[in-house]
Amino acid sequence: MNPLFTFRGKPSTTVEILCGAGFALALIGVWEAASDLGWIAPTFLPSPSRVAVAGWGLLTKQHLLWHAGVSTLRVWVAFLIAAAMAVPIGILMSSYRIVGASLEPTIDFIRYLPVPALVPLSIIWFGIGEETKIFLLWLGTFFQLVLLVADDARRVPHEYVEIARTLGGSSRAVLTDVVFRAMGPTLVDNLRITLGWCWTYLILAEIIAADSGLGYVIWSARRFVKTPEVMAGVVVIGIIGLVTDQILRAFHRRLFRYL
Amino acid sequence: MSDDYLRFEGVTKQFGPVPVVAPTDLSIGRGEFVAFLGPSGCGKTTLMRMVGGLDTPTSGRILLEARPVGGPDRRRGMVFQSYSSFPWQTVAENIAFGMRYRDDMSPQEKTASVAHHLALIGLEAFADHYPNRISGGMRQRVAIARTLAAGSEVLLMDEPFGALDALTRERLQVELRRIQAHEAKTTIFVTHDVEEAVFLADRIVVFSQRPARVVAQVDVTAVLGVERSLDLRESRPFFDLRNDVLHLIRHETGDPQ
Ligand SMILES: Nc1ncnc2c1ncn2[C@@H]1O[C@H](COP(=O)(O)OP(=O)(O)OP(=O)(O)O)[C@@H](O)[C@H]1O
Ligand SMILES: [Mg+2]
Repeated sequence: MNPLFTFRGKPSTTVEILCGAGFALALIGVWEAASDLGWIAPTFLPSPSRVAVAGWGLLTKQHLLWHAGVSTLRVWVAFLIAAAMAVPIGILMSSYRIVGASLEPTIDFIRYLPVPALVPLSIIWFGIGEETKIFLLWLGTFFQLVLLVADDARRVPHEYVEIARTLGGSSRAVLTDVVFRAMGPTLVDNLRITLGWCWTYLILAEIIAADSGLGYVIWSARRFVKTPEVMAGVVVIGIIGLVTDQILRAFHRRLFRYL
Repeated sequence: MSDDYLRFEGVTKQFGPVPVVAPTDLSIGRGEFVAFLGPSGCGKTTLMRMVGGLDTPTSGRILLEARPVGGPDRRRGMVFQSYSSFPWQTVAENIAFGMRYRDDMSPQEKTASVAHHLALIGLEAFADHYPNRISGGMRQRVAIARTLAAGSEVLLMDEPFGALDALTRERLQVELRRIQAHEAKTTIFVTHDVEEAVFLADRIVVFSQRPARVVAQVDVTAVLGVERSLDLRESRPFFDLRNDVLHLIRHETGDPQ
């Protein structure tokens, strides 16, 4: 039987990549045609080729790479701080019920505060420097991630923990040797997903208070209704996201060969 | 056989208002292989977990060599029915994990012990396989080897072969009996399967429905001897004993198994 259209069948990786790329190219083709044929006003939706030209302009004349680098750095700094805090705290929350019971209501409360609503406060606290941006990104990810981590740790089968205990492992040893190892795959998945959220908040932070970064590039282009530049900026974010995600997936496969 | 190696003294267990184990007194000798047999949900797992230190009795005490057992430690090793081996470790790593918290062995001794236990369970060829690439029966053998490598004196097995097909099960029973004779470990083996209990155990303890209470004990070794081979399974004494135990279960526990 043809595996392409079998329910839960598994076509080859090459076919999968080709189909993914094919769909994206087809979409770009339709878009190009729609713009070239004048169906949509160019200030509203410029054609892909014009976006590409604008992107080239940004790259050569407006330090696009530098802005992209600044944005990426901000995302990673905030993300790493959030992760470095969320992973141990989340594991402790699930391992010691009292820690979970103490922290969870507060975390849940903050988690539901929309980050944009906290922008003014953040500017009052930290001014408009890097601290504000890092703080907003951290705010948007830490509180989500910590609950995800706690859930991952909670889902580690209790049998694993008990086995390690009867083999003489202390609570601490069981935490690092068993709980942390067993939750590895879901943890890395959740980190990958949370990193994506970081980008959402980054653009917000850079639009509001920045003179660098992709959000700043997009927002200043908008002021002069340079739609192709705006779109080029968006496309760059998409590409960075796509590449990061693929790298993290490859990392996941290497790290967890046993899956 | 010294009868007082492992002793239950008036042990009870209650989960909230529900009594799960009725006052239980029982003695198990050093090196003895005891099977716990009883209706589903009667409290066998609970009893075993209390021996392992994973649950504490509501009243009464469990003594190992005259000393009350505390929390879990290496002396009492558990083999569960499911989730028995760590999926992120290879077969050899899983066995080595049994010695991870032993400081009485040098790294060389540990390596040698992994090889020894791999051979004991006949999985040398699968040393570098991950558990999801081997069969369920192999996974249970790995769990047993890991517990042995930990140097546990008491093996606590909760339906370790429960999820296996009849043939694999039979093979593992022979193997377990051989290993147990070789290593002389005191063993408590929980099972639903009367034939399994008769084939493996020196003694069968039959429990009532919840709350668990000892309703009968059957000295298997007195009838079948110590040597257990597959031929024995087709012998008359085995067959008769199996029927006796089945009969006991039907009439003493009120459970039509
Ligand atoms: N942690 C717990 N909290 C409340 N009730 C429990 C708990 N553990 C077990 N029980 C109850 O205790 C009873 C005995 O459970 P146990 O697992 O010891 O039975 P079992 O004899 O091992 O059964 P099976 O043969 O089906 O494995 C069951 O009715 C179960 O619902
Ligand atoms: Mg049970």
